[in-house]
Amino acid sequence: MDVRSHVSMVFHLDKCIGCHTCSVACKNIWTDRQGAEYMWWNNVETKPGTGYPGKWEDQKKFKGGWKKDGDGLKLNSQNKSDYFFKLFYNPNQPTLEDYYEPWTYQYKDLFDAPAGDDQPTAIPVSQITGEYIDIKKGPNWDDDLSGSPEYAANDVNLDSLTPQERSQLLEIERLAMFYLPRICNHCANPSCVAACPSGAIYKRGEDGIVLVNQQTCRGWRACVTACPYKKVYYNWKTGKSEKCILCYPRLETGQAPACFHSCVGRIRYFGVLLYDADRVKEAMSVSEHHLVESQRRIFLDPFDPEVIAKAKANGITQEIIDAAQKSPVYKYVVKWKMALPLHVEYRTMPMLFYVPPLLPVLGKSTNDVYANSLDGTEFPAMLDNARIPLKYLASLFSAGNEETIREIMKKMLAVRAVKRSEQLHEELNEPTKRMVKETGLTPEEIQEIYHLTALSTFNERFVIPETRREQAIEEMVDPEFCKGNCGLGFNEMPPKIS
Amino acid sequence: MIIQFLFIGLPYAAIAAVVIGTYYRLTRKEYTVSSLSSQFLESTFLKWGSVPWHLGILVIFIGHLVPFLLPDLWADLVKHRPILIALEAVGFVAGVMCVLGLVVLIIRRIFTSTLQLVTKPLDFVVYVLLLSQILLGLVTAYSYRYGSVWAPGTVYAYLYGILRLSPDMTYVQDMPFVIQAHIALAWVILMLIPFTRLIHMFSIPLEYLFRLPQKVVWTNEVRWNRRSERAQYMESRRYFFRGVAGVTGAAGLLSFGVLEKSGHYFQGQTLDDAKEATLLEKRLKRMKLTAEEKSYELERLKNDAIFIADLKELQPATGKYFIDYEMRPALAFRDAKGLPNLLSAKCTHLGCTVGKDVDGQGRIVCPCHVSYFDIGTGVPQAGSPTEIPLEHIAWHLRATDGTIVAHGTPDGTVATTAAYDAAKSETYKVFIIKSKGVTVA
Ligand code: HEM
Ligand code: SF4
Ligand code: FES
Repeated sequence: MDVRSHVSMVFHLDKCIGCHTCSVACKNIWTDRQGAEYMWWNNVETKPGTGYPGKWEDQKKFKGGWKKDGDGLKLNSQNKSDYFFKLFYNPNQPTLEDYYEPWTYQYKDLFDAPAGDDQPTAIPVSQITGEYIDIKKGPNWDDDLSGSPEYAANDVNLDSLTPQERSQLLEIERLAMFYLPRICNHCANPSCVAACPSGAIYKRGEDGIVLVNQQTCRGWRACVTACPYKKVYYNWKTGKSEKCILCYPRLETGQAPACFHSCVGRIRYFGVLLYDADRVKEAMSVSEHHLVESQRRIFLDPFDPEVIAKAKANGITQEIIDAAQKSPVYKYVVKWKMALPLHVEYRTMPMLFYVPPLLPVLGKSTNDVYANSLDGTEFPAMLDNARIPLKYLASLFSAGNEETIREIMKKMLAVRAVKRSEQLHEELNEPTKRMVKETGLTPEEIQEIYHLTALSTFNERFVIPETRREQAIEEMVDPEFCKGNCGLGFNEMPPKIS
Repeated sequence: MIIQFLFIGLPYAAIAAVVIGTYYRLTRKEYTVSSLSSQFLESTFLKWGSVPWHLGILVIFIGHLVPFLLPDLWADLVKHRPILIALEAVGFVAGVMCVLGLVVLIIRRIFTSTLQLVTKPLDFVVYVLLLSQILLGLVTAYSYRYGSVWAPGTVYAYLYGILRLSPDMTYVQDMPFVIQAHIALAWVILMLIPFTRLIHMFSIPLEYLFRLPQKVVWTNEVRWNRRSERAQYMESRRYFFRGVAGVTGAAGLLSFGVLEKSGHYFQGQTLDDAKEATLLEKRLKRMKLTAEEKSYELERLKNDAIFIADLKELQPATGKYFIDYEMRPALAFRDAKGLPNLLSAKCTHLGCTVGKDVDGQGRIVCPCHVSYFDIGTGVPQAGSPTEIPLEHIAWHLRATDGTIVAHGTPDGTVATTAAYDAAKSETYKVFIIKSKGVTVA
């Protein structure tokens, strides 16, 4: 057993209001630079929808992630047999058109325009060329446009649905959608790291954050292709790849990453998980329907004395063990089994987990009246007639295993039903009682889930272990060396920066 | 003088620039080591430019490198005509691919507005140099065929000379202009490598083939000291050391060469008598040869006509070598009418001396790359590497008393005078004449 500690995250999709505050916080801090204008290390997509970059989930086109190869794993592309020929031109690399051409407005014209009959306008110009631009596409162009044939209908996750289910889902009266905020998953088996020909991308051993060493990155762009989530971006100005750094400078000083901190819906949870690094490859090599379960099994119980002893032997500090015991992620992912990784079938072992959304699944309109009934009589037929088919959610969160989704939905329903009866001083009816029992949750657990979901405080949502400054990298090596390792931006002025 | 600069000064300047510049860029400016990719901004044309360009240039690169590193293997290969033809064809196609790819790359860069943001003036310098170099290479391959056969003995011999610090320009100074330009431009391009995007040639990521899939960096001391982590680290260090050993070895050899030479210079001779004697003998022989050559030159400067043979010595099937007014080798035959037939023997391909034996079809052959020449007209047979005929050489045939009885001109016309008497022909003597300023009596 090789016990390591890993940063990990939960996004509770039922709570996301799609306000993009997280994206803007991130943009302002990290990617408001030339060459990075188009990058959204954090972005929020509407599902069903094609996302950003467009159709990123289409791995036939982008060839990201791992595939099973006998007993082991092989990169979908960029592996040792084909990487060389892709150095000169990468057939699967997304280009500017796959993202969007970033623009700004000539705000100055509003003040400087000479007096005239018309109101001055701020004309949009490309942030790349500075030329006038006819805006056709943006990073969140499909926002709330679910159902429109250009976006939702092209969602690759719909491929698993029958034509009938598809048309039902996209029918305007039944239109249903939810938001999916995405950042780098800081995977435990990252394909970007495995694909980098120069060995410039690495995982920090202490916390698992994935960083691009700007000094040794040669701009081959293999990582951009290999990351199935398209969360590594190529900076066209510096010729280097960049990605989400999980605001590690904030983490190291005890603050939550900016997107977590600013989240209006308070959907984000941050914690650490202890896991067994020796078993990662094995766990990611099982058949698709078992991936969720085999990933869960790698996480270790931070209360188990044997685990604690082994962790300490590996140099994991008491601070980290304390944090692991209090980790909200451990609760959602391992204890309650309510949070799932996105597209686990890419086999990168993402460390960002999502609690699937319940509301759009539940809501229903009968005779033009929208009902969100929870009297339980309709259960479990309610789940089978959900507006967003469970199959669709399964395609996103459990590699197609509907049973996994159904179990989580039941737990969420159970918590709601119990809390509702408490508030209304009503007895639970028989079918609901049966449902609560089926979930296997104890009454205490139900209260705990309710609390962490609805009422948790800042410190309960973000459990960040204290860093030992004496072990920080700047203490071990020359600070100039750290500068190159920092993961983004310019290490020296690129030519022609204006 | 300019030749000296291009083939001796420039090469050493280029080598120094590459070594020092590359070292500086790889160590002090590591951040900038790459070829700024523009695929993100424009992808379609890049595909049709970059792929043919790189495949082509890599084939050509290997084709230039193998004969340099493994001359014996190469010589064995090109001995077989089918292999030779195949190699030449592959090289030529690769060259054409390079040109097409490069043209696409250049056009793409000029006409795509987003690309102008990531283009520097030096990029265009690189384009122009590379395009010129490939075109010169293609012209060479086309006009001086079978470079894979002739280059190892000439251009590469010159290259080895440069690397052994005893540059010998004789190999290249008489080469046709195109080949000279190709060689000189190669030095210029080499020199620019560390200062342009061409530096990316030194960042070919071969270490990827050997590394573990995941890379983890620790600052934690406990983990650092653990064996498995250490093993990974040691593994990467092994590769590093191997690389260092390679570079140090190469640098060592080079400096050893330099030091040894300078040592000798300061130390003076340290040979025993016998060795010194042989050396002296050799030198004497060389001096004698030079003296002989100079005496011929003098003879030609002083005389308007020079005796080369008695007519009776000449034969139709085997030529007699002599040296013409331009100090070139030449051949004398006797034609069907019993008159002399004088031809230059300096092959019009790359200047080897053409053989003296006439085959069944009235041809002589150059041993270097098998150009067949008709001895009547001097014209090479179709399919030979050269298309330029051998020149005729002007001559006089004189009787014993000195009267001219017949003459030939550089265009190959032959005429007898009234004094010609076939019965006395065995006593006639053949002279070559200065073509200019000497008229037929
Ligand atoms: C195995 C060796 C090589 C590799 C892996 C390699 C790789 C690359 C890459 C990745 C690019 C950037 C393409 C892009 O815009 O995305 C590039 C561009 C370029 N390479 Fe190479 N290269 C190699 C050898 C060479 C050699 C030997 C030469 C010339 C002698 C060369 C000349 C160029 C030029 C001129 C460009 C600029 C193309 C353009 O953007 O218009 N490369 N190369
Ligand atoms: S999500 Fe992050 S860690 Fe995972 S493959 Fe993509 S960039 Fe790498
Ligand atoms: S020198 Fe090439 S055939 Fe004569």
